[in-house]
Amino acid sequence: MSAPAYGEARPCVGLGWRQPHYQALMSSRPALDFLEVHSENFFGEGGAARAVLLQGRAHYPISLHGVGLSLGSALGVDPVHLRQLADLVKRVDPMLVSDHASFARGLWRDQVVHAADLLPLPFTDEALAVLCRNVQTVQEALQRPMAVENLSAYLQWQAQDWTEPEFLAELCRRTGCGLVLDVNNLYVNARNQQLAGEGSDPLAACLDWLAALPTQAVAEIHLAGHTVVVDDEGGSMVIDDHGSQVIEPVWQLYRAAVSRWGAVPTLIEWDTAVPALDVLLDEVRRARAVALDVLEAVT
Amino acid sequence: MNGTTADLATQQQALLAALLGEMGDAKKIANYVHLVRGGGLKAYRTNGHAAAERALRAAYPVVTQLLGDESLAGLARALWHAHPPHQGDLACWGEDLADFMSRSAQLASEPYLSDLARLEWAVHRAACAPDAEPDWPSLALLSTHPFEVLRLRLAPGLRVVRSAWPVVSLCLAHTEAGATPEALARVGGKLRVAVAESAVVWRQGWRPCLREADAAEADLLSAVLAGASLAEALGAAPALDVAAWLPDVVRSGILLGVCAMEGA
Repeated sequence: MSAPAYGEARPCVGLGWRQPHYQALMSSRPALDFLEVHSENFFGEGGAARAVLLQGRAHYPISLHGVGLSLGSALGVDPVHLRQLADLVKRVDPMLVSDHASFARGLWRDQVVHAADLLPLPFTDEALAVLCRNVQTVQEALQRPMAVENLSAYLQWQAQDWTEPEFLAELCRRTGCGLVLDVNNLYVNARNQQLAGEGSDPLAACLDWLAALPTQAVAEIHLAGHTVVVDDEGGSMVIDDHGSQVIEPVWQLYRAAVSRWGAVPTLIEWDTAVPALDVLLDEVRRARAVALDVLEAVT
Repeated sequence: MNGTTADLATQQQALLAALLGEMGDAKKIANYVHLVRGGGLKAYRTNGHAAAERALRAAYPVVTQLLGDESLAGLARALWHAHPPHQGDLACWGEDLADFMSRSAQLASEPYLSDLARLEWAVHRAACAPDAEPDWPSLALLSTHPFEVLRLRLAPGLRVVRSAWPVVSLCLAHTEAGATPEALARVGGKLRVAVAESAVVWRQGWRPCLREADAAEADLLSAVLAGASLAEALGAAPALDVAAWLPDVVRSGILLGVCAMEGA
C-alpha cells in the first residue's frame, strides 16, 4: 500500500471504473490519478474482464475495492475468497486494497451463506476483536496493509461499547490498516437519523464525527451520491445508491476532511444509472478543485 | 437473550435469518437492533433482491428474454431465498436456477427452460475460465505416440450440455446478430416436436461460443473432460469422422493441442 498522501499539495483524484466505460476510458485515457474497481468483478482466472483490468493497469494505478470479504464475520474470512483476492493483487499490484467494516457471511439453516451486502457490525469489543482478527488474516495473506471503509448502515445494533469513529480508529491502531473514509456514508447515516427523529442537523453531526476520529490513517476518501426513497407508508429513507452527483453538504464534508488529512487519494464513485464519462470527469474535476482550494488555503 | 448479551455469531445469524428467511424470521432480530419502522430491514432485503436479479440477468440473458422482466424478478427473489449465495463473488451465484425451474409448477409448461439455463450457465462460466494458448506443434505427437498415452487438450471452460430440447437453436436465435422472425419460427417448430440438441460451449479468445454438437462429438468431448486418453475417447465415439472433425476443432479453438499422459 502506498503511504497515505498526508500533507502533499497536489490533489489525487480517481474514478470508479465500471463496465459501461471500459472501452471509452481506454480510448480517451483522461487525466486521472487512479482507477478504482470492485475486486470481485475480476476474480475470474481469465477472460475479457481481467484482460481489461490489466489494460487499465498499464496506464493507471489501480485501487482494488472489495465488497465481499465480510471482514466482520464471526465465521472468519472465506479462504477461497481470500485466495482469489490474493491472486488478483499479485497480478495487478494495486496502490490500495480495501473492503468494508461489515459482514455478510454467516450461518443460516446450518449452512454458510453470504448475503452479498454490506451489513453493519455492532460497535462492541467482540466485534472489534473479530474485525481485527480478520483484517490481520487478510493482511498476512496479501503481505501488505489494507484499508477498511466506514458504512452507510440502515439499522443500528442495540449493543455498543464504542462510538463508530473510536471503533474504526482502534481497528487501525491494532492492525495497522488504513481507513477508507466515505463522507457520503457519514451523511447518509446522519440524514437517516434525522428522518428517524434522532438528529436535527446532519451536516453538523458529520462534522462532529470527523472531529471525533482519532486517527491519521485515512488512506482514501470516497465521494458519491445518494437517493431519498419514500416507502408505501409514507416514510422516507436515504439510500446510498451511488447513482447521482455528490451533493453540496457532502462537498462541505470533503473540504473538512482535506483540511484535516491533506491530499488523500479521493475517489468519485458512481455505480448505478452510470452517466456519460464526461459527467464523471466533471465530478473528478470538481473534487480536484475543492481539494486544491483547501490545500492552498492551509499552506 | 437480549442485545447486550448475545454473542456476535448469534447476532449475525439473526440478521441473516431476517434477510434470507420468511418475514416471520424478522422477529428475532428486533431483540438486537433498533428498527425504525422496519425500513432498514426492507432496504437490505430490497438490495438483496436487486442483486439477485442483476446476477441472473447477467448469467441468463436468453432465459430473461423468454420469461420477461417481471417473471425473472420473481424467480430471482425466490431463488435468492431458496438457494442464497455461499460466497462473495455474485458471478458464481445462480447455478441452481436450472434445477429450481425444473421443479417449478408454474414453469411446467415450458420444460425446455431448465436445459436452456444449463446451457447459459456453461456460457457464463466459460467467460471467466483461465486463459490458454494453443500449442500446435504438440499435434505432432499424434504421429509419434500411441493414442493410449495421449490426451486432447481442450479449451479451458469447455462444457458439453445435452438436452432433449433444441436449446442450441433457441439460444442462438435469441443471441446471434441477425436473428430473424424466420429463425424464431424454425425454433418454434423444433420445440413443438422436441428436437433434441447437444451443445459444446467454449471460449475463443475473449468470446464465449456455443454450437451444436452431434452425438459422436458430444461423446468424445465428454470422455476427454472425464480424463480419458485419446484412444478411450475415440472408443467412446466410434461414429466420429475424425479426419473431418480435427481441422474444425483446431480452427475454432475447441482443441488447443495434445499432451502425453503422465508416465508415457
